[in-house]
Amino acid sequence: MVLELKKPRPIWEIIFSTHHTDIGLLYIIASMVALFAGGALAMAIRAELFLPGVQIFEGQADFSRFFTVHGTTLLFLWLIPFAAGAGNYLIPIMVRYKDMAWPKLNAVAFWMIPPCMFLIWGGFSDTTWNAYPPYSILKAPGPAADMWIVGLKLLGLSSVLGAINFTVTILKMKHPDLPLMKMSLFSWATLVTSLMIIVAIPTFAASLVMLYTDRLGVTGFFNPEMGGDPIAYQHLFWFTFHPEVYIFVLPGIGMMYEMIPTFSRKPLFSYYSGVVALIVIAVIGFGSWAHHMFAVGMSFTEKTVFMVGTLAAVPSSAMHVFNFLATMWGGRIKFAAPMLFSVGGILLFFSAGAGGVVNTAMPLDFLTHDSYWVVGHMHLFIMGTITLAFVGFIYYLFPLITGRMYDQRLAKIHFVLTFVGIAVIFGVQHILGLYGMPRRVVDYLPIPELIIMNQIASFGGWAIGASFILFLYNMIKSAMFGKPVDPKDPFELGHGVEYYYDYARREPHH
Amino acid sequence: MGHSTPEWVYIGAVTAILIWVGAESWNIEHTLEYAPPNSETVRVVGQQWFWSFQHADGTQEINELHVKEGIPYRFEIVSSDVVHSFNIPDFAMLMDAVPGRVNTMWNIFDEPGEYLIECREYCGMLHQDMRARLFVEPNTDNTTASQPESEPTISQGTGTATVVAPGGGEVGSTGTGTMRVVEPGNITASNESGASDNTSSTASDSGDNATTGSTNGTSTTSAAGVTLSIPAGAATPGNPAYSPDTLTVTKGEIIAVSNDDTAPHTVTSGASPGDADAGQLFDTSIIMPAGKAEIDTSTIDAGEHPFHCTVHPFMTGTMTVQ
Repeated sequence: MVLELKKPRPIWEIIFSTHHTDIGLLYIIASMVALFAGGALAMAIRAELFLPGVQIFEGQADFSRFFTVHGTTLLFLWLIPFAAGAGNYLIPIMVRYKDMAWPKLNAVAFWMIPPCMFLIWGGFSDTTWNAYPPYSILKAPGPAADMWIVGLKLLGLSSVLGAINFTVTILKMKHPDLPLMKMSLFSWATLVTSLMIIVAIPTFAASLVMLYTDRLGVTGFFNPEMGGDPIAYQHLFWFTFHPEVYIFVLPGIGMMYEMIPTFSRKPLFSYYSGVVALIVIAVIGFGSWAHHMFAVGMSFTEKTVFMVGTLAAVPSSAMHVFNFLATMWGGRIKFAAPMLFSVGGILLFFSAGAGGVVNTAMPLDFLTHDSYWVVGHMHLFIMGTITLAFVGFIYYLFPLITGRMYDQRLAKIHFVLTFVGIAVIFGVQHILGLYGMPRRVVDYLPIPELIIMNQIASFGGWAIGASFILFLYNMIKSAMFGKPVDPKDPFELGHGVEYYYDYARREPHH
Repeated sequence: MGHSTPEWVYIGAVTAILIWVGAESWNIEHTLEYAPPNSETVRVVGQQWFWSFQHADGTQEINELHVKEGIPYRFEIVSSDVVHSFNIPDFAMLMDAVPGRVNTMWNIFDEPGEYLIECREYCGMLHQDMRARLFVEPNTDNTTASQPESEPTISQGTGTATVVAPGGGEVGSTGTGTMRVVEPGNITASNESGASDNTSSTASDSGDNATTGSTNGTSTTSAAGVTLSIPAGAATPGNPAYSPDTLTVTKGEIIAVSNDDTAPHTVTSGASPGDADAGQLFDTSIIMPAGKAEIDTSTIDAGEHPFHCTVHPFMTGTMTVQ
């Protein structure tokens, strides 16, 4: 076993290891640290918004720092490292190779993440996670924004190195007996995600350099006073970060493709359509970035093109939902925690997707843009779909990693609290947006509807926070004292479930 | 695989719904895109952290916008510092104010009343307070908008349209579809010239903090010995806010206030905008960049009086009246 908390291996053995399971474990632990740290900031944000007026923070400036670091942490230090960690753990096993293609590069990619955490948390920038100029150039003096830029720059490098490693491992190190079209869908999702990272990230990396030299005053790419255009930054930014949405979500989809057939005790409905949908969205996902920018003054033609591009990405997401439901249909489903989280994730994925169609419909976008609707929408994706899938996958991997079983009752309570919390907070935030509440504000007008809805949202948020404390307790306690399980069939699904853990042959450590 | 039929049916249904959504959106957006040729133009300037409005007749308003019911208005939205977003939630109007660009948007306000205007793009320290009020007044004399002169001018709603000279009445939209860059400095300069033509128009009907932009340059020539200047860079927290920031005057003297910064400021009594008596003793209201104002101390009691800037509450100073 890799992780045995009762008889721990010496810490340096894990830290200096280049074995893929150790690196995977480090990724997962680092990402969970970020999950709890970023989540704590969200709790403070919800406490501030519980009542109108300014109570906890000194003003908008402190509040801005909190939501900036909250967003940056959870997007870049939770979602991306966790997906990389799960991939590290499973991809070499799934493609039947002894390790990643380049183990040392793998370790380097991981060890770039702690400095990034330090930079982002040490700086505590207030530019929002999208750092639009000219605010980020002219009005955010001091080292905070510089540290944020360098931190994200390093993170991008780390992602690209990891993605190259995954791509080469999957395409070149795959066992010769394993054809591409027999590979698990989780491997497909990781492959597609990695290719998207390699295409998307360099654009943002370049714009970060431009942003930095603009801040130094030596260039004026985005500075209107020097002939630059702030909108250019927004295009570069979203060219990376709309595909990034799919980079976040596809690993989650891949994990659901692992969990749902397993716990439905039924083969996947259609492997082929899953692969096609993954590839199609990776291509079309690059043609929709400017739907984040309808209100910056785009021409009718531009808006139409990006609306069509966005709508075109919907069928492939819908295909996954269909595939999941058709797989569950008629199966003998066992609702263990991973399955509960997957099903919850499907439900909210569908809701978030429907909200996304509303956002991209041009006239409606002007109603929802930059309001709390958008906050609710994107959190429904990030919490409701991706985080639910990831957390389900933590439960799914738990017996593999520790050889023990988590406390199943606590896990179910965790699911119920989280799911209800997510549905409440982010559902209500959609309505708040329609009432005209702008996002990123420390204070709102003391209108009864706004107050009540914000309080409901805060309770939802705190329910999620409480459930994740249960989760942490469950993970630590069960890793030490949990019931040892049969590694062949930890969830007691019975015989005939061949694709659970048949790849779990341990390789000796380097 | 044998599963292809239900998959194709499903994908067909999803695609049909999406095509319907797309077509409807295209249709509606198309009707919203082009402003009627007889629209009245209002220029909207977003600045940290307030809105100012300039009507075609030169009238200028700050944080308040008065429009008439039933008349098409075309808004030209600009920014003089960072990206803001001009939003009237009740009319689903939203357009970013981007420095260096002129974005346009139009609407006919069909329901008289008072509405909220807010900023929806994060713009810094007082983003949440960057609100203004929209007053839609009943159109009593029942004029439709000033009828366009003979040639029908077409506002080509590319979203980046034209600049109408402030104070010049003509709604001459050339609509080349190209962007005309307005330098941030020029916007405020032209506002001032517009305001000085018609200083009397809005001063009376605006509320507590909303008055005209700059005071007339003529009245600042009094021989007051006391000057208070707002140095360049005062809008950034940490920089010197007022020079001098502790000011001693003899009762009856007139303080000449000059704004040497590139942002608008005020000199308002009270330690912060939240004070109950803020602005009770003296208030210059908004002084535009390079603008001047004066404070008459003859009505102020002797003693120490803190003052601040309502636009940038971190700018504070103290005045001692002897």
